[in-house]
Amino acid sequence: MFLQQLVNGLTLGSTYSLLALGFTLVLGLLNMLNIAHGDVFMFGAFLGLSFAMLGVPLYLALILAMAGAGIVTIIIERLCFRPLRKAHFLMPLLSTIAFGIVLQNVATQIWGSEPVRYPQATEITQFQLGPVLVSSIDIIILATSLVLMLGIDQFVKRTSFGRAMRATSEKPQTASLLGVNINWVIIFTFFVSGALAGVAGVLTALVYLQITPFIGIRQGLIGMVAMVIGGVGNLRGAMIGGLIIGIIEVMNDAYFTAGYRDIILFGLFLAFIVFKPEGLFGTKER
Amino acid sequence: MGRKTTTAIIVFFSVLLCTLAFHTASFAGPIAGKEIKIGGIFPITGHGANVGKREAIGTQAAVDVINAKGGVYGVPLKLFIEDTASNPQEGVNALRKLAGDHKVLAIVGPHYSSMGETTFPLGNRLRVIQIAVASSKPGLAAANRPYAFRNTLTEDKVAGGVIREFKKRYNIKKVAIMTDIKDAVSKSVGTQVLPPAFKAQGIEVITGDKPVTFQTNDTQFKAQITKLKAMNPDGIGLGALGPDALNIITEARRQGMKQPFMSTAPIMEGELPEKGGKAVEGTFAGAYWLMAVATGESQEFIKAYKKRWETMYTGPYTEKPDYYPVNAYDAVFMIVEGIKAMCVSNKPGELQMDRDKLMYFMAGLRDFKGVASRGFNCVGDGVKDVIVCEIKNARWEALR
Repeated sequence: MFLQQLVNGLTLGSTYSLLALGFTLVLGLLNMLNIAHGDVFMFGAFLGLSFAMLGVPLYLALILAMAGAGIVTIIIERLCFRPLRKAHFLMPLLSTIAFGIVLQNVATQIWGSEPVRYPQATEITQFQLGPVLVSSIDIIILATSLVLMLGIDQFVKRTSFGRAMRATSEKPQTASLLGVNINWVIIFTFFVSGALAGVAGVLTALVYLQITPFIGIRQGLIGMVAMVIGGVGNLRGAMIGGLIIGIIEVMNDAYFTAGYRDIILFGLFLAFIVFKPEGLFGTKER
Repeated sequence: MGRKTTTAIIVFFSVLLCTLAFHTASFAGPIAGKEIKIGGIFPITGHGANVGKREAIGTQAAVDVINAKGGVYGVPLKLFIEDTASNPQEGVNALRKLAGDHKVLAIVGPHYSSMGETTFPLGNRLRVIQIAVASSKPGLAAANRPYAFRNTLTEDKVAGGVIREFKKRYNIKKVAIMTDIKDAVSKSVGTQVLPPAFKAQGIEVITGDKPVTFQTNDTQFKAQITKLKAMNPDGIGLGALGPDALNIITEARRQGMKQPFMSTAPIMEGELPEKGGKAVEGTFAGAYWLMAVATGESQEFIKAYKKRWETMYTGPYTEKPDYYPVNAYDAVFMIVEGIKAMCVSNKPGELQMDRDKLMYFMAGLRDFKGVASRGFNCVGDGVKDVIVCEIKNARWEALR
């Protein structure tokens, strides 16, 4: 049973990693937390659902949901961050809280408050690999997450745009003097962050089977926990942080009681903030 | 005849005349005022919004039916609805507003047990009755006498009937229990209701007093199902709300578990049969009203509900009534019966006395004939007939 639970934990954790990655991208770049990130995740899940309902194949629904969630995040940047760059440092944070609540209620108006089910979610293939049962959905989730994570990691490390992102993150004024169009870098980073939340939303909904406008709240918080554990602003840290959280969550449910889960996760969150604020892999080290 | 005697006779007749005059007057119009105010506390927004809206429609539908027949002795009912936003703190504010600002005679609602846990004690302090329409955690009304009532059946009463049929159908000898530990009613089903109910019918509970646990609205149930599968029970008893039950059962089928599931009324919330497809077929639960088993009163309720739905919270999520709006609908008729039977005056100066009269009426109400309600027991919980149901052909069907 342990091996099976480990696989369960990795699948769950990989969606947390995608969320944490989105958080850390924006935070690392602007030193600003987008609290509405969890709600973008929810919105992405619903967009994916709507496309799937229209008969769009899964991979296309996934891409469209990514694009939609990315655009929502660009709106967040234009509305909640850009006009407030010179405002009190808490203002963007507060405005994203408001944006998140608006997004939840917009989703309630469109899709209702009761859980909505993903179509044909049960018709999946199972593979028995020794003692471990893996479903086609697990494989899709793990593969998509892995490809996206490695892709982003390499993009930021190796491309010139990635270099511009890193430069903007470290010294925005110098980067600007050197010809980096900071506004474009910011918009692009927000888009990627939102797209990651969107894809995480669709993938989670594939496991979860049904979604409500309120699923983003806890997921957003968990994404933040994963980011802090991995090290704020550290891309690889966010990925591993997400996996660790997924495994802890699953192992707790399997061997203890679900009531301890949030005590352990958020206790860990607190412990890291107080005793090891740089996380497991250090802050902003790219 | 002395002067004193004459005075006494005059006084006697004057008093008699006055009494008669008032008595006649009271027959002409026993209810004062232009309207009779009643309140409704429902989750109109937040995670319980859809079911809350259905309850509000059910309550308003009853008001419509009563007013169409001339109200109560010619005085129409007026319903004030307050939104709890699915948040117990807001429920407290809603109750204060209805009791204090709108000065309603009685209140239909709240919905959840967790809401009742905060509004019932306040209702006792404000001395106004609340008739909850979905709360079914055992002991909650008993702990909040005398103003708390629940026109629902507590889960312990539903469980016994369901387990008897479940055992017979699937030859169940040992079960595992999986339960929500966050939602008040599901937790009570999984930890307090099901274990003794299974044992009472000679079924072994493999999970003992440590059921497999999860939390409301969890995103996945892989860990729990992997654990359940390893235990290999004959069947699974669930303490869960409908939406979570759907995910749990589907995940069980994905991991290759074939065992049947059973639970009580809360899993019937949220279209489990329609959404679950093949995975949930053969699942057992219990209820006291089903659209499929509709009687004469039910037909009138369904008609009134549909008519009201056309102008109130119209949408796909409120179109079909379930048994919660039935409870709300019946609660309004109970209040009206109480107003008549207890000669509630509806005079502003007698508001507290009127509220108390309704409390005493509900406390003794045993022979009510509603759509799916027969009154209350001695601790304020509803008296209803249990219908054991099974999911067949993508819908709940009554077994008997």
